[in-house]
Amino acid sequence: MSLPPPTGFPGRSPPVPTTTFPSPPSVISPPPSTTVRPTSRTPFPDPANTPQATRTHQQGPFTISATKLPILKAGPIDSLTSRLGIPIPEMIFGDNVLSITHAPSGWSIFFSAEPALDLVDKTGASMLRVAYASSWSATREKTSAGITEVVKPFDWSYTTSYRGSEHPSPSHKLHKADPKKTQIPLELLKRRDPILFADEVVLYESELDDNGISMLSVKVRVMEQRMLLLCRFFMRLDNVLVRVRDTRVYVEFGTETVLREYTAREDSFENVKRNLYMSGLTPDAITVAFRDANQLANLIPVVEHEIEEVQLAGAGGGSSS
Amino acid sequence: MSDLDRAIAQLRACRPIPEAEVRELCHKARELLIEEGNVVTVNAPVTICGDIHGQFHDLMELFRVGGDVPDTNYLFMGDFVDRGFYSLESFLLLLCLKVRYPDRMTLIRGNHESRQITTVYGFYDECLRKYGSANVWRYCCDVFDYLALGAIVLGASNTLDTPKSGPLAAAPGEKIEVEVRNADRQIISRFLRKPPNNGHNGNVNGMSATTTGVSSSESANGPPTNTGPPGSGASGSSGGSVGNPAGAVLCVHGGLSPLIDMVDKIRLLDRKQEVPHEGAMCDLLWSDPDEIDGWGLSPRGAGFLFGADIVKVFNHRNDLSLIARAHQLVMEGFKEMFDASIVTVWSAPNYCYRCGNVAAILELTEDDSGLGVLSRSNGEVGRSDGGMGDRQRGVLMDTDPLGYGEGPARRYRVFQAAPQDSRGMPAKKPVADYFL
Repeated sequence: MSLPPPTGFPGRSPPVPTTTFPSPPSVISPPPSTTVRPTSRTPFPDPANTPQATRTHQQGPFTISATKLPILKAGPIDSLTSRLGIPIPEMIFGDNVLSITHAPSGWSIFFSAEPALDLVDKTGASMLRVAYASSWSATREKTSAGITEVVKPFDWSYTTSYRGSEHPSPSHKLHKADPKKTQIPLELLKRRDPILFADEVVLYESELDDNGISMLSVKVRVMEQRMLLLCRFFMRLDNVLVRVRDTRVYVEFGTETVLREYTAREDSFENVKRNLYMSGLTPDAITVAFRDANQLANLIPVVEHEIEEVQLAGAGGGSSS
Repeated sequence: MSDLDRAIAQLRACRPIPEAEVRELCHKARELLIEEGNVVTVNAPVTICGDIHGQFHDLMELFRVGGDVPDTNYLFMGDFVDRGFYSLESFLLLLCLKVRYPDRMTLIRGNHESRQITTVYGFYDECLRKYGSANVWRYCCDVFDYLALGAIVLGASNTLDTPKSGPLAAAPGEKIEVEVRNADRQIISRFLRKPPNNGHNGNVNGMSATTTGVSSSESANGPPTNTGPPGSGASGSSGGSVGNPAGAVLCVHGGLSPLIDMVDKIRLLDRKQEVPHEGAMCDLLWSDPDEIDGWGLSPRGAGFLFGADIVKVFNHRNDLSLIARAHQLVMEGFKEMFDASIVTVWSAPNYCYRCGNVAAILELTEDDSGLGVLSRSNGEVGRSDGGMGDRQRGVLMDTDPLGYGEGPARRYRVFQAAPQDSRGMPAKKPVADYFL
């Protein structure tokens, strides 16, 4: 895969033979945004690069757009951290966006990292502990007495119930539908209709200090008559827990109908492991399967399910042509 | 051409060597590593590298940017394996180079050099896939157990040498403390060391303000002054090509441990084992610096965080001027914290082939002023005399208004991921994914 070069990095600007800063700042990260000359090389991703990093596709009255940029640099990380009030995941794709816009009505929905992280529990009330935490702290009690204060408690698994950020129009807003009557038409989506536009955008990822993985990503595929977007949160805390939270946005272009389905799955690591074993996998294949949410999702019981709908046809009071 | 040289050539081409050769290599490496202490002593000049994570082609790019072995003296701070697609080739190449040029290559252990972690994060699978059995993984894990836990760099200069003339020359009396270069060796930025009389504007408690434009211009216009460590009598008026000794630099993968107040205590650990879940050895490979006071527990329930005061006290007590560590991804490739008393170096560009970050290596240059012994009062010199080292240091440090020695000059070389065409595989065409 090819990513655009890191934006705004000074290496890309013309060589500066002898730029001398008279003395080192207390924290040096190139380039120092705090010191002299913030002009030609701020550490912030150059907004000018966003258009190049954005792919857009028009299908009927809908516009689908995906922006992919590198992880954030130190400056934007600091400001995002202070806005959110929690430490943010080490792989934070804060400039990435995937959006669906219905121009005639003005309705749109987008997926990005900041609103998703804003839904992470910031109090520590739902805080998990890594598998060996008890044994770890037990052995510490004698030797490291006094160090008991947990730094900034928060849900470090970055579990989010994010379903995308909806921008409703005055007369159009997603509303709850009856899951018995309204369903995403899986059979139609299983057809091998040519894919006209597809993309995948990672919003954030954490390795949980090598205790598993937490990842939020969005992918989309657009066919002639319909499209599907899947925003998946996948979290595996080794030997503790597995969570998969899927938000699917389905658009039927002909009827201009939008469905949003949210499905949360959760089970103990032990149960998932047993189910994988029962499905006939070897231990090595089980290790591999634990990295792949696709293999796990259907083995994990649903704990929450909801479907919403919005009908956008005939919108816009004649503004659509 | 010896077998080893042939293996190196083969691995450089990113082709794995046969299982029997891996076995022999690992055996030789173990014999070599068993002789090393838990804390290896390395003399400057040295190039310090952070996490590699199996990104073989980026490791080749690192050697291109930093110079080849054995021309350049390298110190790798662990996490050679996992996550990338070529953990095997990367680790075996580094190991071959270690066996071939033991004095030019130092490898210390990262938290991924462990049986447990490699089974989860890719290295185990990769060995299985490339050899059809787990034997090679086992040989490598046996080597992991013998890797040193840290290194002490001695004899680093406190100023970078510059050409006498030309666009890269420094003005007379100017001492370059930090320089950042790109992969094409062009200078991105430079920071001069402040003369000691108008002060380091940081203070010991890490409450310093960032350098302001005002104090900058002051020092730029000020006369050249002594820049050697206090008490050494070194003068900075020699034209900027000869450095002065700086205090020692501790290199470790993760960070400090509440169980370790002296570097010597690291030397007493029994390291030849799987990375344990507890104890000092675990902390050295796992802990992280953070903007806190003192020690804290990670919210995950295991692992320590340490603040600026901890680093400064530790550095003072051990006569260190800097701690270099890896372990955490930083977008810019390196990140200095706590008044440059600790630095994170990250050497895996475009981490996991998708983060788009740059990588960095840290060069410490050699002090050739002949004064090195002075600042090594608590390095290897006089280690056996116990309390004597303390008194000696007291004398030196009393004249230092800050209580800690001048840090080494740092040259960071920043580089991006190797170009796609150097990877010997076509860019992946996305296949139609009919996900549901």
